[in-house]
Amino acid sequence: MAVISTTGLTMQFGSQRALDSLDVEVPHGVTGLVGANGAGKTTLMSIALGLRSPTSGSITVLGLDPHRDAAKLRSLVGYGPERNLMPEDMPASDFVKHLAEVRGMPRSEAKGRASDALWLVGLGEERFRALGTMSTGQRQRVKLAQAIAADPSLVLLDEPTDGLDPVQRDEMLSLIKQISAEYDIDVMLSSHLLEEVERVCDHIVALDAGTVVAQGPLDELVGDTEVVVVELVQIDDLPDSVAAVVVRLEHAGLDVDRRGDELRVTGVERGATLNTIRDSIAAEQARLRRVQIGRRTLEDLFTAVES
Amino acid sequence: MTSAEIFDRGYRRFEGTRGGRGSAMRSVVWYTTKSILGLGRKARHKVFPVIVAVIAFLPAIIFLGMAILIGDLLEGELRPEYWELFGFSFMAFLVFTTMVAPEAIVRDRRDGMLPLYLSTPLTKVTYLISKGTAVIATMMIIVLGPSLLALVGFTVQGMGPDGFGTWIETLAKLVLAAFTIVVVLGAVALGAASLTDRRAFASVAVVMVLLGLSFFVEVMVNGVDAPETLRLIDPLNLPFEVAPRLFDAKSEPFVEVSTSLVLLGNLGWVVAGVGTLAASYRRLGAV
Repeated sequence: MAVISTTGLTMQFGSQRALDSLDVEVPHGVTGLVGANGAGKTTLMSIALGLRSPTSGSITVLGLDPHRDAAKLRSLVGYGPERNLMPEDMPASDFVKHLAEVRGMPRSEAKGRASDALWLVGLGEERFRALGTMSTGQRQRVKLAQAIAADPSLVLLDEPTDGLDPVQRDEMLSLIKQISAEYDIDVMLSSHLLEEVERVCDHIVALDAGTVVAQGPLDELVGDTEVVVVELVQIDDLPDSVAAVVVRLEHAGLDVDRRGDELRVTGVERGATLNTIRDSIAAEQARLRRVQIGRRTLEDLFTAVES
Repeated sequence: MTSAEIFDRGYRRFEGTRGGRGSAMRSVVWYTTKSILGLGRKARHKVFPVIVAVIAFLPAIIFLGMAILIGDLLEGELRPEYWELFGFSFMAFLVFTTMVAPEAIVRDRRDGMLPLYLSTPLTKVTYLISKGTAVIATMMIIVLGPSLLALVGFTVQGMGPDGFGTWIETLAKLVLAAFTIVVVLGAVALGAASLTDRRAFASVAVVMVLLGLSFFVEVMVNGVDAPETLRLIDPLNLPFEVAPRLFDAKSEPFVEVSTSLVLLGNLGWVVAGVGTLAASYRRLGAV
């Protein structure tokens, strides 16, 4: 069963269509909801939480209807909002405990779970500090702690690395991966930073202007390609060597896209392609700067969609 | 062989039964009540509620002290009716009202708690009911407390209502009068406070509605001889008129206004306050 499943989900705000006939399947694991600001990520999250009604289409989350089963669903879902605002004078432990209670934890259980969640995110020693005295990184961790304290089946995190420096971002991404892997909690995180999504997510749902531009397992959408990038050095003694290499490669049946001294070579089988490149360069005595296996990134995906 | 055990106390899955909306509402009511009274917060947050409580209870304490010291000399002439004690603490109620409503709802909007609450089993309606309950509960301490203290104190001094039945009836009337004052002032204050995200502005809005309209009515009735029924649009004094009516009396400014109009006017202010509150939150985005 998919964690989140939508069929023809459409959301219209006045004349603006925020989501346009979305057919999305979010499986178990960590799923990245990617797209530029205004792509519809937060709107999709708020519909998944039952906070907005879609204009048309349907959605189920954990097999439940977000509107009909709102109370039951929301006690099973943790949510970390994008905004970094919190009650300044409240200790982190009280904040997490209170929200765990509101999400259905018995009072006797909430205190212990709040403490455990804060230890898990690395704030065990800091749990009695007022939220207003905490750094941005610590506050992001508190937001994650409150989202998991009530033992959710699914956690929705809206831009969880917003405002973090690279080290803090690495730590936050590791935590997100950990809570999914160790505690079997499904996570959907939204981000406009494609690189971080590639690092932590198992699946991707990519949105652009309210439509799905790609979805599926990360390793099917990004990763190595059949393209080999070859960069040669033009030298004065052999001014035609690059062109000669291109001719040899094309004679060998390979597709070559020359961009200055950089060749993007596509063949049927990567090993054979690399051998042909090696032989061609040796035969023409060309000077090689680098050989690199082509890699498709999420950025390429979006660039392709836009073009 | 040892009997020692190492317990894994780390994060773990929850196997028990989860509470629903009722448990969520109880938690919000308790958290909000603590927040208003400054419990679990720094000392500076406790100062204001304590000062207001002292001012509110002072008249009752003074009358009780006089009763203890002077005794029967107070009987009849000097001792006020129980319902008159609401009027003696009038300013304390007003000041407390301007603080309670903004603290209860505006703080959540400023601190980002509202979107978090709405991602839980709470809905906007259940959230507002929880907040309203917390406001009523805390205001009841300040509004009912002094007259309750006086009733118990005078009874202990042998100056209370005659007979158990009369005592219970007096208590019920005081509770009902206090509840009316709290509900009307609370609804108007919550409605006014819901119009802004800034706590200071919210307090000003509450003062403007309560004192502004009251001042306007006074000028119109006493200055240009407008009809006494204009006092129905005075949200500050109108709820206090319910207390004398429950004790078969009328206060001076409302002599010409019938009891049914007084009740209708109060109901109207509750509807206006709750309606404004509901409209404000309907406009607010959820996440």
